[in-house]
Amino acid sequence: MIIRSSDQVPRTALFKRFPIPRNFGVSRESRIRRGKTWPAPRVATRMRTFEIYRYDPDSGENPRLDAFEVDLDDCGPMVLDALIWIKNKVDSTLTFRRSCREGICGSCAMNIDGTNWLACTRFISDLAELATIYPLANLRIIKDLVPDLTHLFAQYAAIEPWLKSKTAEPERERLQSADERSKIDGYYECILCFCCTSGCPSHWWNGDRFFGPAVLLQAWRWLTDSRDEAKEERLDNLEDPFRLYRCHTILNCTRTCPKGLNPGKAIAEIKKMMIQRRS
Amino acid sequence: MQNMRSPLVSAIGLGSAKKGVGPWWAERVSAVALVPLTLWFAASIIAHTGSDYATFIVWLRTPLVAILMILLLAALFYHTALGLQVVIEDYVHSATKFAAVIAVRLGCCALATAGVVAILRIAVSG
Amino acid sequence: MMPSSTTTRPRPLSPNVQIYRPQLTSVLSILNRITGILLSACAVVLVVWLVAAAWGPQTYAPVQAAIASWIGRIVLFGATFAFFLHLCGGIRHLVWDTVHGFELRSIYISGWSVVAASVVLTVAAWVASASMAG
Repeated sequence: MIIRSSDQVPRTALFKRFPIPRNFGVSRESRIRRGKTWPAPRVATRMRTFEIYRYDPDSGENPRLDAFEVDLDDCGPMVLDALIWIKNKVDSTLTFRRSCREGICGSCAMNIDGTNWLACTRFISDLAELATIYPLANLRIIKDLVPDLTHLFAQYAAIEPWLKSKTAEPERERLQSADERSKIDGYYECILCFCCTSGCPSHWWNGDRFFGPAVLLQAWRWLTDSRDEAKEERLDNLEDPFRLYRCHTILNCTRTCPKGLNPGKAIAEIKKMMIQRRS
Repeated sequence: MQNMRSPLVSAIGLGSAKKGVGPWWAERVSAVALVPLTLWFAASIIAHTGSDYATFIVWLRTPLVAILMILLLAALFYHTALGLQVVIEDYVHSATKFAAVIAVRLGCCALATAGVVAILRIAVSG
Repeated sequence: MMPSSTTTRPRPLSPNVQIYRPQLTSVLSILNRITGILLSACAVVLVVWLVAAAWGPQTYAPVQAAIASWIGRIVLFGATFAFFLHLCGGIRHLVWDTVHGFELRSIYISGWSVVAASVVLTVAAWVASASMAG
């Protein structure tokens, strides 16, 4: 009932999804149909069924939902291990991004059992009996579980995430006290997995103009860095009814961050700084 | 209709409006005003359950009540106009959006004026 | 990053609200919005009621009768619940605007408190009203 940190998985839920039709409001090319069922290669004592979103751009068909039976004694404990097992033993065309397998690169971000998380840090034992795996929500899909993140990275580039200075370059380091350095704690650790942005309903409805929690968290990271000298331009760039103020403090972002960061709080700090500069 | 612009240019769009704090702050100020005003109004209505028309009019005629009611209407419709504008901007993305926002703002102005005139009429008439 | 040929079909959009798990965060937020819209309708009714009162007892009587009818009471009960939910949710938002209460534990405690407070206040309001009338 009371969630203490974002890695807590609720044991029971009244609704696993909002009670609307599965293909509600979905465009023709995005409608999902029933797919194949893939049994495990041999009978196993511990099995779990994974329903996985599939899309093959070369087939000309709509996306589908395939059901895979996974032998839990034959694969590792994480969801990424199950996906790799499926790719090795059952269907080698299953496509997903992955790299570090330790929750630091952000490649394997996907929607697991209804919430966005990294596949390599989600335990299979935390999933429902019938686990559902979808790609990150509200993104154009290149293939299977691989979303097109181009627009999200373009929004990141639009906030100019680098140090800007007005004063002359120092002889050696740009000095920063320990207190000043602690101000970027909780913000510099972002791995740009975009779980938060993809889980934000405001970004679903206005993602073309709303920057979203990941980009705004990074914008705050630069605003609060004492070495950066372009606060005025950064705030001017953000003060927009869509870029910043589509955030209505829904807080799905903070709930879903796989690194335990707090984009909701960062955005509130930006809004507070906006008020402070005009009052 | 393919979009051939670079992703960065698409993300920047028409650029920052450089305005946005105003409506956000106004919504918060009107909200802070509405907390005591609506609680007072709800308590007054509960206290007047079952009272007849004459008692109700005498209560509305007292200067303090008339002032608080006018303040309530002003804050309520200001907050409503701002809130509904945000809702429309969230969900409507065609040209209808501008017509809807104008309709909401003018409608709230009209309703607020009607309410204030009604209170003044009660307060002033003998 | 765009498909090279203009004749290729558009890429499908991954499902969002159709599959995303409802959580306390998103559910309370959409309830705050829904109650806000309902209260806007109530504001209209408030003005109608005031105008009817200002124009004399003859115009006031049918409005009062509509509110006192059983369907009017059900609507009024719903409106009071919506009012208290939006009020408590709104106060929660105002606290967030001071950049307090953003830890997940605080978010969940304040969220459940809003639900509990709304129910308690609605019941208290109607009990008080009944005792006034009786």
